[in-house]
Amino acid sequence: MEYRAKLIIPEGVRDLLPEEARAFRKIERRIMDFFVKWGYEEVITPTFEFLETFQQGALRDQESLYKFIDRRGKILALRPEMTTPIARLVATSLRNRPLPLRLCYSARVFRYELPQKGRWQEFQQLGVELLGDGGKAADVEVLALAIEVLLLAGVRDFRLGLGQVAVTKGVLAALELPEEGVEEIKGALLTKNLVKLNSLIEHYGLKGQKRKQLEALATLRGKKEVLAWAREGGLPEGAASALARLEEVWRELVACGLGNWVFFDLGILRDFDYYTGIVFEGYAEGLGAPLCGGGRYDGLLERFGYPLPAVGFALGLERLLMVLGERGEERKGFLVAGPSFPEISARAREVRASGVPAVLFLGEDRALAEEQARKRGLSLLWVE
Amino acid sequence: MKKMLTLAIPKGKLGEEALSLLKRAGLPWEGVATEDRQLIFTFPREGFTYLICRPVDVPTYVEHGAADLGIAGKDVLAEARADVFELLDLGFGFCRMVVAVPRQRWEEARGKVENLLVAGLRVATKYPRVAAEFFHRQGKPVEIIKLYGNIELAPQAGLADVIVDIVSTGRTLKENNLVEVVSIFSSTARLIANRVSYRMAYNLLEPVIEALKKAAEERRDDLVARS
Repeated sequence: MEYRAKLIIPEGVRDLLPEEARAFRKIERRIMDFFVKWGYEEVITPTFEFLETFQQGALRDQESLYKFIDRRGKILALRPEMTTPIARLVATSLRNRPLPLRLCYSARVFRYELPQKGRWQEFQQLGVELLGDGGKAADVEVLALAIEVLLLAGVRDFRLGLGQVAVTKGVLAALELPEEGVEEIKGALLTKNLVKLNSLIEHYGLKGQKRKQLEALATLRGKKEVLAWAREGGLPEGAASALARLEEVWRELVACGLGNWVFFDLGILRDFDYYTGIVFEGYAEGLGAPLCGGGRYDGLLERFGYPLPAVGFALGLERLLMVLGERGEERKGFLVAGPSFPEISARAREVRASGVPAVLFLGEDRALAEEQARKRGLSLLWVE
Repeated sequence: MKKMLTLAIPKGKLGEEALSLLKRAGLPWEGVATEDRQLIFTFPREGFTYLICRPVDVPTYVEHGAADLGIAGKDVLAEARADVFELLDLGFGFCRMVVAVPRQRWEEARGKVENLLVAGLRVATKYPRVAAEFFHRQGKPVEIIKLYGNIELAPQAGLADVIVDIVSTGRTLKENNLVEVVSIFSSTARLIANRVSYRMAYNLLEPVIEALKKAAEERRDDLVARS
């Protein structure tokens, strides 16, 4: 049989039909409006940029980028996430704006995935970045916003897992191992490969406190347990102060009445080299991957020549829609019909002005207009 | 209703050993068979569902969250590179991932790996990513030929120069006049978890992980005591 490439689309991308597009835009608008109400201003950046720009951020992994070459031989890439382009934008065009800067976005992003993985290669990310404030209040604001956005969207059963990569960094730095060993242990922690971690602990002969601390990093979770571990003492200095910060952030969230949505898990590391402080992921019942994620990345803007602390998060709109299982609400409005086109067109304008959709009927047969209105769920407005 | 915990179990021999470990760990097992037409077994009272999957599919079920936990061989995990958490070495299903060659070729290479592993080799395997990564690390560009079974046939039929495959006793290799020349890694069954389930349903998962851990240790001790 003839292979009809012209009728199909590549794996990992998709069309949204009218109902789906309606649901998509509706939730997108609600969330973006909410960000704006919190004082976050929307920015729009190019869909593709130079590869070098993206290589400064998370997802430096070349394999996950869609790359192509322009006519001058420069390597371009489709954006795989929005934080790095925003960092570039802030470091170049928004340098003179008062700090802190609050920016938000809603954008298609692109990641190369093996087709058999069953993942989207193009999807919508909505997110915020709070730049120029390195304090704990900024951490709390972004976490609170993440929780409130999920509540606003109507996700019923969700939790934010809260980690702190500086704890792990502190413990790793105090291991006194060759770089190669640190990298291997980091890899095992990142992929949560506890089997490999154990064999590396054996291999490098780590004992006593070092061993206990590594094991704790991989498995410790729950507020009480993590805080008790912090008080036990013996942690390297960087790790101890990072944990203290985590506790402060959590206390603030509790004071804001948001404590129930958060749990501690030091195993959450996300993109480890890129984040510098708190990190978090949002999980929803029945979804096999995180719904949202973010954290503090104080080192990124420096790479663009404008050292600035920053924290933010992004949310996957397709995943959110999957959790909500939502279809667009029923279409409402009028089918405006009648023998005179100028008349119906004038009437339709009035209807639209009142905020209700008005669809023009292209014909003069009333019976046909009635039938069409019924089929499309519209009310017929017959103008004599 | 009690929240159900879903565990993906591989069909076949690995699945049989997995079942005996479940039994040892005090998890429900009665009536579960890994070679049956029935593929889903539920224990509503205990809150368990078992999915019987093809071994290579276990990481996929777990990665996508169709199962919270799964039991899969390290060989399969290394090939799948699924985004799952690897929690426990369960200690059974031991095998090795090896490079093997026809005896004659090994003799021509005068028993030296560096003479044998040259650029341009044709490599037959069920594990194309594992094989590609191994030869990549050696800096040898090779041609990988993906097969679905009876890999040992490929060199005899002239389809490939060497194979990358798992061996447990080495008998199959011997019977087909093949020699193991490199052991890439050794493999056992692992307990894996979906990364969201591990965090969202931790309270549910934790006792199961602990029970399996204990059972795997007991099993190991029993084997040591017997030998």
